[in-house]
Amino acid sequence: MIAIKNLSKNYGTNEVLKNINIEFDKGKVYGIVGGNGAGKTTLFRCIADLEEYEGEIHSNPNPVKNHLGLLLTEPFFFQKMTGKEYIQFLCNARKIKIANIDDRNIFDLPLHQYASTYSTGMKKKLALTAILLQGNPYFILDEPFNGVDIQSNIIITEIIHKLKALDKTVIISSHIFSTLSDTCDEIHLLSNGHFSKSVQKIDFHILEAEMKQMTIGNKIEKLGLV
Amino acid sequence: MDKCTNVKTRSPNYKIGKNCTKSVGFSYFWSTKEGLRESDISGNFRRTWQDEKVKAYFELQYIMTNRKFKDAGLHPLLAYFLLTILFVGLSMYLFHKTEFAQYIYLLFALTLIAKLSETRRTEFLKICYGDIQLKQIRIVENLICSSPFMAFLLYQQLFGYVGLLLTLTSILAIVNVQTTFNFTIWTPFSRRPFEFTKGFRNTFYVFLAAYALTIIAVSVNNLNLGVFAMLLVFATTLSYYSKPENEYYVWAHDLTPKAFLFSKIKTALLYSTSIALPIAIILAVYYPQHMGMLSLFFLVGWAFLISIIVSKYSAYPDEMNITQGVFLALCIWFPPILIAVIPYLFKQSENRLSGLLK
Repeated sequence: MIAIKNLSKNYGTNEVLKNINIEFDKGKVYGIVGGNGAGKTTLFRCIADLEEYEGEIHSNPNPVKNHLGLLLTEPFFFQKMTGKEYIQFLCNARKIKIANIDDRNIFDLPLHQYASTYSTGMKKKLALTAILLQGNPYFILDEPFNGVDIQSNIIITEIIHKLKALDKTVIISSHIFSTLSDTCDEIHLLSNGHFSKSVQKIDFHILEAEMKQMTIGNKIEKLGLV
Repeated sequence: MDKCTNVKTRSPNYKIGKNCTKSVGFSYFWSTKEGLRESDISGNFRRTWQDEKVKAYFELQYIMTNRKFKDAGLHPLLAYFLLTILFVGLSMYLFHKTEFAQYIYLLFALTLIAKLSETRRTEFLKICYGDIQLKQIRIVENLICSSPFMAFLLYQQLFGYVGLLLTLTSILAIVNVQTTFNFTIWTPFSRRPFEFTKGFRNTFYVFLAAYALTIIAVSVNNLNLGVFAMLLVFATTLSYYSKPENEYYVWAHDLTPKAFLFSKIKTALLYSTSIALPIAIILAVYYPQHMGMLSLFFLVGWAFLISIIVSKYSAYPDEMNITQGVFLALCIWFPPILIAVIPYLFKQSENRLSGLLK
């Protein structure tokens, strides 16, 4: 479980997160939604201990950063490092020994090529493979479906179901509502630095309708399309 | 009239574009007053505008270079002064130490210049400037980069090598060097990937050169050249630790700052030794009476490797700045200082990493 109490984060005078309180339980998948700049990535960076913050974040085992698989929106890859070496590096970093990485290459990535030459989707799949092989109990997946082909999207959805079955805690952000409704147990709407709404699976359709109404309103009519 | 004179005198600050927008009028003026055809004038205008673009490119490069020095905490003038001293000092040392200095010198100069011929960079410049300006830019920047080497070769009265460097510099200006190949270069360091895997792929030819120099050193009975080859290996591996990595690559470790630093040092010592040891063994076999001196140089290589690692992380996530530079300069001047500098920078590194590693 990850418990967040009174989490606030400021960049200068800009208050990005305001007194966030939430608990992420084992065996559950959480969706975090919100517009651009709502604070999703900052929240993830705070949980991962990549940012200094006010408030408390507890987990078991502690510290969460050493047991967290973090998939960044745009994973960074060095020049002249192969896909296999990237996976090896992340496994070494967590003291995990993988006998044969090639056998675990479920996305059929060209692991012996330099990762920096991969397409956007391939990079994301490589980064995801690496954190999955780390065997973490917690996962934060920031936009895992972005830029990934439809076949891989199906596989990622199944992976998330499997992680839930294995009693892992998964936190996902996505701008594609259907990907969240397929995978999440709860969705939390982050707006202006705090959770303005939290919805259980049974009410996802209501949240989607509300978000549509809030986002679109009468904007399309304003275009005056004929 | 004055406005159009600007065109001919190629005034700076893009006055051409601002002042001569009515091209028909000024073309007519020039064709009657100066006896030139209208097409000549438009060509002149185009050339002048393109010259300004090239000039703006070099001004931008100059500003960007100065910015790097400022970021490192150095005034640009001081940085240029220090670099000049360093360059002249190292050049004199090289030419004093080995009779093969001119070859090593040419290799260094061409390696530096080849980096400017990288395909993607050339493509970008071609999109921005077109074919003719691209060649102008490439020739000028190659000449700028090779000029210190040429000046020192002239000082050494090695006129033939100056001509050779000038020729190769000009050829490199019109060819693109493919630095991103489709094939993956094999590396013996894949078990612990990162600095040595990517570093080896970038610099493996330096190690081949070092091994070749060792063989030459033994065959011509020049121990100094052999020691230089060994130190060249260490100097190359030092460069793997010159830049701070993306924070994710530090954060990902389930290690305390101290354990992380020890792990980095262990990997660096193990892998650098595996590259430098063949040279040391060959020299030890041929010069057993100098075993003590060779061991000392090996230890110094290790010590500098440790010092660069702790220097890097003592500034992390920023790049190494003037503080680390001063420490390293002091160590080069008087290596025994390393005994005090390494523990100090190690402690600093632990503090800097404590935010990312628990």
